[in-house]
Amino acid sequence: MNALLRSVPITWKNLSRRTLRTVLTVAGIAVATFLFSFVESMRDGVRRATEAGAAETRLVVYRKNRFCPFTSKLPQSYERTIRDVPGVKSAVPVKIVVNNCRASLDVVTFRGVPDEGFMEDHLQGASLRSGSLADWKSRSDAVIVGSALADRRRLRAGDRFDAAGVRTLVAGIFDSDDAQDQNVAYAHLGFLQETAERGGTGGIVTQFNVEVTDPSKLEDVAAAIDERLAHDQFPTTTRPESAFVARAARDVIALVSFAGIVGWASLAAVFALIANAIALAVRDRVRDHAILQTLGWTGMDIAWMVVLEAGMLGAAGGAIGAVAAYAAIGFAKLNFTMEGVSIGVTSSASVTAIGILLATALGAVAGLAPAWTASRREIVQGFRTA
Amino acid sequence: MSAIECRNLRKDYVRGEEVIQTLQDVDIDIEAGSFVALMGPSGSGKTTLLNLLAGIDRPTGGTIEIGGQDIGDLNRNGLAAWRSTHVGYIFQLYNLVPVLTAYENVELPLLLHRITAAERHERVADALSLVGLADRHEHYPRQLSGGQEQRVAIARAIVTRPTLILADEPTGDLDRASAANVMDLLVRLNREFGQTIVMVTHDPSTAARAGRTVHLDKGKIVDEPEHAHGHAHDHGEHRK
Repeated sequence: MNALLRSVPITWKNLSRRTLRTVLTVAGIAVATFLFSFVESMRDGVRRATEAGAAETRLVVYRKNRFCPFTSKLPQSYERTIRDVPGVKSAVPVKIVVNNCRASLDVVTFRGVPDEGFMEDHLQGASLRSGSLADWKSRSDAVIVGSALADRRRLRAGDRFDAAGVRTLVAGIFDSDDAQDQNVAYAHLGFLQETAERGGTGGIVTQFNVEVTDPSKLEDVAAAIDERLAHDQFPTTTRPESAFVARAARDVIALVSFAGIVGWASLAAVFALIANAIALAVRDRVRDHAILQTLGWTGMDIAWMVVLEAGMLGAAGGAIGAVAAYAAIGFAKLNFTMEGVSIGVTSSASVTAIGILLATALGAVAGLAPAWTASRREIVQGFRTA
Repeated sequence: MSAIECRNLRKDYVRGEEVIQTLQDVDIDIEAGSFVALMGPSGSGKTTLLNLLAGIDRPTGGTIEIGGQDIGDLNRNGLAAWRSTHVGYIFQLYNLVPVLTAYENVELPLLLHRITAAERHERVADALSLVGLADRHEHYPRQLSGGQEQRVAIARAIVTRPTLILADEPTGDLDRASAANVMDLLVRLNREFGQTIVMVTHDPSTAARAGRTVHLDKGKIVDEPEHAHGHAHDHGEHRK
């Protein structure tokens, strides 16, 4: 421990007084860590959206063999049938209209929901940033907009908002931790049914959001709903919400999984960058190390200096890159939306911490081999080499 | 009493299949408080002997006892600890760490000692003051002249108050005036503080400032003239 502590001031001076080398190395590490943190944030968003929790209580009832809101059409009258299935607590008919069925970062999703009950319950877990629920209720063309969509389209309460052929008035904007909500405009169900289908298709919805009474019976209830509607004109496929998102967003999930390779490759770049910088530094400082050892510093002291320097470079670059990624993601409010479901790319303290820790650890590991070489070199040999 | 006792000291270097005998059965005693100059032609083994005395190189055979300690018994870490306490080393090319200021270079050996920051500061300031560089604390080596750099190196060598100072051609890279300055300083350290100094030099006039001169040739000690004592000569003409 003493060896480590007495190495700190000299290591710090070596870093702070060789400014250009330090800045260039740290910048490289920061860029690589930024990339890693960004990709990990995307993967984190996918995990959160698609991994079922033990307390998951929501099912999504969709038209069988349909995967796009444009093609999933179910009679609103199924609501009563679904409610009657044992284990169902509530069933909400939802009409979804999107301006784009493909995967995109700028998809507008309207969700038509019943006038009474749904929004009151839904906004309990969210906070209304501006506007009011009363304004939404008072106008049939009113929408309450998720914060990510509002920020992206620069919407404020009272603005007119036109997308996917639906002309609405923004009655309120709300914040939510749920990626599905951040990118959505909640409209009145009846209004959306009539507007989106140009009249004549009232009573058709896209899906039903079903709450169950017992999370452990989620799959059983889903099977019971599909069984009940199997011989109807519009058979259904019912899945837990996480599985529904995973199915709908499979293309994006595949892309994000591939991006994971890029994330790990960027960590390899961090390792290579630090290993190269430290190997060069050790080669340049053969004489300095020989001087220190002549003065009584041990090989272990020298090794600590090298490892510490590599770790500090990793920590500095990692911190800059990870914090920059945290800030950029928080500022950009990115959501991948496809087929009406959203996967959020959200800033996460844990991803930031992992980025910093990995960069630091990789730095220290990258310094091990040069540290060993430096610590074992004989003093006289060091002077001769220099 | 002898501060240094070397017996049958040998150092061989292997280059390919050739064995080069740099030192051959060297016996030498150096008294505590003496100032000894090692002279001899290039390749005679002067610097090798100095390195062995400093414990920065290991002998092939024989023993080195310094202050009663056989340094051959010490392992790498033990030798490093012994060096930090007992040896001050002055190089021909100063060998200051370029990213550290004069103050920080002198402070380096003290970072290994368990002393307070205040005491450390006092010792560094005293050492730099002794070598006449009290006003150069914050200067980097590149901002100093050769003579000043060597004086910083001397301050670094004496700051731990070692019993033995080893100097490898300390004036070899300096102009005449700076060399005289450095020699005055070494003589003063020997006379006033009683530090044992072993210095390698090619220059007879520099060697003449030492109390005793040992000649080496082909790895052996030859024709060592007798001195009444081993202390430094305070020759006025060398101060010019």
